[in-house]
This record gives sequence, structure tokens and C-alpha cells, in this order.
Amino acid sequence: MPARMLVLIFMAVLATASAAHAQDALVVSVWGGNWKDTVERVIGKAFTAKTGTPVEFEVGGTIDRLAKARVAKGNPLVDLNFTTTHVARLYISDGLYAPLDMSKIPNAKEIAREAIRSEYHLGSWSYVYTIAYRPDLVKEEITRWSDLWKPSLKGKIAMPDFDPSHIITIAALMEGGNELTWQKGQDKLKQLKPSIAAFFSTDAQSQDLMKTGQAPVQVMLSVNAYHLQDQGIQVKLVQPRDFPGIVGIDTMAVMAGTKKAEAAHQFINLALSKEIQTELVKALKAGPVNSGAVVPPALKGQPGIFLTPAEWKERGYIMNDEARAKTLPAWREWFTANIVK
Amino acid sequence: MKLLLAPSLVVVGVFAAALMALLRYSLVEFIPGSLQTGGLTADNFRAVLARQYLGAVWDTLLLSAATTLCTLVASYPVAYALARTRSSRVRSALLVLTLAPFFSGAIVRTYAWVLVLGNTLVTWPVPLLFTERGVLIGLVHFSMPTMILLLAAALSHIDPVYERAASSLGAPPARVFRRVTLPLSMPGVVSGSVLVFAWTLSAFATPELLGGGKVKMIANVVRDLALDSFNWPGGAAFAVVALAVTLTILAAAGRLTSGRTT
Repeated sequence: MPARMLVLIFMAVLATASAAHAQDALVVSVWGGNWKDTVERVIGKAFTAKTGTPVEFEVGGTIDRLAKARVAKGNPLVDLNFTTTHVARLYISDGLYAPLDMSKIPNAKEIAREAIRSEYHLGSWSYVYTIAYRPDLVKEEITRWSDLWKPSLKGKIAMPDFDPSHIITIAALMEGGNELTWQKGQDKLKQLKPSIAAFFSTDAQSQDLMKTGQAPVQVMLSVNAYHLQDQGIQVKLVQPRDFPGIVGIDTMAVMAGTKKAEAAHQFINLALSKEIQTELVKALKAGPVNSGAVVPPALKGQPGIFLTPAEWKERGYIMNDEARAKTLPAWREWFTANIVK
Repeated sequence: MKLLLAPSLVVVGVFAAALMALLRYSLVEFIPGSLQTGGLTADNFRAVLARQYLGAVWDTLLLSAATTLCTLVASYPVAYALARTRSSRVRSALLVLTLAPFFSGAIVRTYAWVLVLGNTLVTWPVPLLFTERGVLIGLVHFSMPTMILLLAAALSHIDPVYERAASSLGAPPARVFRRVTLPLSMPGVVSGSVLVFAWTLSAFATPELLGGGKVKMIANVVRDLALDSFNWPGGAAFAVVALAVTLTILAAAGRLTSGRTT
């Protein structure tokens, strides 16, 4: 009996301690896997060391987390959110984000203009969607977006179908349009159809297709390509000569209704510091938003890594966030009807 | 008695509430670029009755029918051996082989098929991965254990004396099977077929992974609409249409077969 009593008391203490911990902690919502590990290791630990506030994570896919945030509107389950810049527009349109108090984020003064996405969300790092290929399986060198249309690449290409905005925009740019006049590239894109081996809806699928050689040429997230290179897989990332890669910017924001807005602002400020940005670049092989960050020589000038205003402008194409969020359903519908099927 | 029914009624109530929420969502206006929805509208249903969405319903029905047929044909001999073998070792071995897929997750099994159907281990004469053929193979493999168990149960209830009687009257084995064994095993055939057809209609992971984004079944399209296009009302409307089609087909199948199995 005393033993059982002891166990019960021990469990009660544990439960109380863990509830108290959760109450004190800053809860950050982020993607799983390498993203969460990196944010926890690079930003979370430094934040706790500096402020004494523990950090807990809620992980999930982009839309899963958006759905959860929507259900918990007004009484958020998380205090700070990481998501892509155009999906952040959906959070903003639904009143899920609080306006940022820039006086509490002094490091924002050091970040690139392109990373200041709105009064609600700031960029944390950048990357590009560009061409990546396996030179051991594709003998012909690929240097331009237009190379994707070569007959020799028939049945070898994969691209995302969850968000075809990158290739739709590139096709439009090739035909003298842009994401707002995307219809100009429709016929061009239809010509690419025989070359497409598969479509992927997750980063994991994209990497599997590249690893197994099922689709050795891809419109790929630069971070994923670097990750494959780290695993010893021969993947060449292209800086296309004809048109730039499509820039992606992941962003941070404070949830509306959070009781830890102060800590969330401190977290964002820390994440934007030169020191943390330097570590993020090393860990993710993504581009820093703080141009003062130290970038390893091997990464300088590589796709997705922008260090000066000129590089942001010349080596990457940044789509209009709002137009992208609004037009994505129409793009997907057209893409599914005309390219996928 | 009424008290005993209460838990079931609660469960049914929760399911009904979820379905009502789906129906309600299908009738609100989708505003692109926003999570806010507008007023009541039937536009979502008009939109999902477009050719590309109905094409996905048609493809799903064809794949489900093909899966059911192929699973039945592939499973029957295994079920027959399982029910009729006199060797307990053979029965155990067959049972283990049949049940083994249950112990590996559906995703793991499907990823294994990615390796097999791709040209990494074997070079196939026709492309299998990222085609409907490949998805069909994956769906049949997924469905076979259940079909085998249902057929084996039905076959084990057939008294072998009927088959022996037919043989002793001069019927060749094929005729015995066609005139005696198969008709008597129809309850298993029907229940297995309805079950496989119904769950194949809602297949998601197999077409997602083996279809390479090119083979879209109903569940994949619902996911695409709701999660990738942020069009939750459209996803809900398509799910309602698909549910209506599925229920109609299952009701028709039930009517057609009810007279034959009793």
C-alpha cells in the first residue's frame, strides 16, 4: 500500500511539474524533421539560455497547422508560428496573427527589405525552387529553364503538384508574362507534359524520387537538394541562366491572442540576429535574411543564398504573396486538368 | 435495454454531426486567398461537377472495380487451399503469409512497392510505377488478406460431401467447382467483394505514393482541394458528391446480390 501511495504521489508531482512547464514555455509551431530540430537547436536553446523561458514545439505540415490555428482562433495553442510567406497571408486574412511591435524587434533593422513581408510576418530564411538533377543519370548538362523542354529529358522530370506556382511562373516569364499574367505560359507548359515522370506532394517524396533515380531532374527546393548532397548523393543544383529561380521565404509571426507576445517578439528578434542567422545558414543551407550573417565560402553565390540587395534582385524571382495565395486554387485547377491528367 | 443503446447512439450522433458539418461546409462560398467563407451557395457543387473532377470519380470507380475483380481472382485459390488443406503445417504457413501484410504498416508496404515497381530492382517491360497499373497492383496486394480470410471462412463452411457427390456422379473437377463450390461460396465472394470495393473507393495512400501524382482517386482530389488549394468548401462538396455516388453504388450492389446470397 505505501508503495502504491508513493507511486501516485510521484505521478501527481510529475503531472504538476509538466503542466507548470507547459504554462511557462513559449510554444512554437514549425514543420517537423530537420526544420524543427534546427529551430530547436539553433534558436530555441539560445533563447532559453538568454531568457530562461523554455521552448516547446508543435510540429506538423503547413496546412495541418493552419487548420489547428483556425480552430483555436482567439485562444491559440501556440505563441509563435513559422510558415511560408504566402500561406502567412491566409493567417493574416483570418485574423490569426497579431501585428508585430517592431520596437521590440531591433534586429529587424538589419534584415533585407525582401524579408519584411508585412506588418505581421518577417522572413526567417530564404531558398529557391530551381532545377536540380543527377549528373550520373542525366549526361546532358542543364543550365537553363528552357533545357527542361529538351526531348532528351522526356519522362525524367518531377515537380510539385501541391504548389505548381513555380513552374507556372517560369513558363509565364519565358513567354513574356509573370504570375499575374500566367495564362501566357499555358501553351508552353503543356509542351512540357511528356517530360514529366511524376509529381510530388511532400519534400520526402521529392527526395525519394531523386534518390531512387525515378525522377533524376526536378524543380526542387534548394534546401532539399543540399540535404541530398550532404547524404552523398550526386545532385547538381542549377543557377538557371535564362530566368532566376523562384524565391521562397519562410516567415515568423506572433499569434493573435497569445499571452506570451513579449517572449514571442524576443524569440523573433533573436532569430534575426547575425549570430543565429549564421548558425541557421550552416544548419539548413538556406539563405540568411540578415546580410551580416557569416556564410560558409562553399555556399556563397549558391542558389537560394542571397547576401546583398543586388543578389536578391538578380538571382531570385520573388512572387507577389497575395496574388499567389489568391491564385493558387486556380493554378492548381488548371494544372491538374491540363498537365497532371 | 435503452440504457445499453446509449453509447452507440452517442457514437452515431458524433458521426452524424461530422457529416452534417461536411454538408454545411460544402454549401458556403469559397473566397480565394482567404480562410473566411462567404454566404450559402451551390457554386461548390457546380464547380466539382466539372469534367476533371467527375473524371476522378470515374477513374476511382474503374480502379475499384478492377481491384475487386483482381483481388477476388488472386485470393480464391489461396483461400481454397487454406480451407481445404489437410496439412496443419501448410495451413499455418498460408495463414502466416496471408496475415503478414497486416503486421507491416500500409505506408511501409506501399514504399516497398515503389522499389519493386520502379526500375531500381527489376526492369519491367512496361512502366508500372506512377501508372494506374502500378496503383492497381498495390491496391490488390493491400486488399488480398481480407478477401482471403472472408473467402476461406465461406469455403470452410461448405460440406465437402457435396463436391464428392458431384464427382461420384461423373462431374469433372472444373464442373464441380463451377456448379457446386463457387455457388456455395457466394456469401464470401459477395461480402469480400463489397468490402474491397467500398474501401478501395476511399483509398488514399496507395494512389498517392504509387500514382506519383498522376493517378488521382476521390480521396486524393478531396485532399488536393482542401489542403493544397485551401478550398475547404470545394473539398467538402466533392466529398459529398463522392459519398453520394459511393452509397448509390453500394445500395445497387446490395440489391443485386441480396437475392443470390440468401
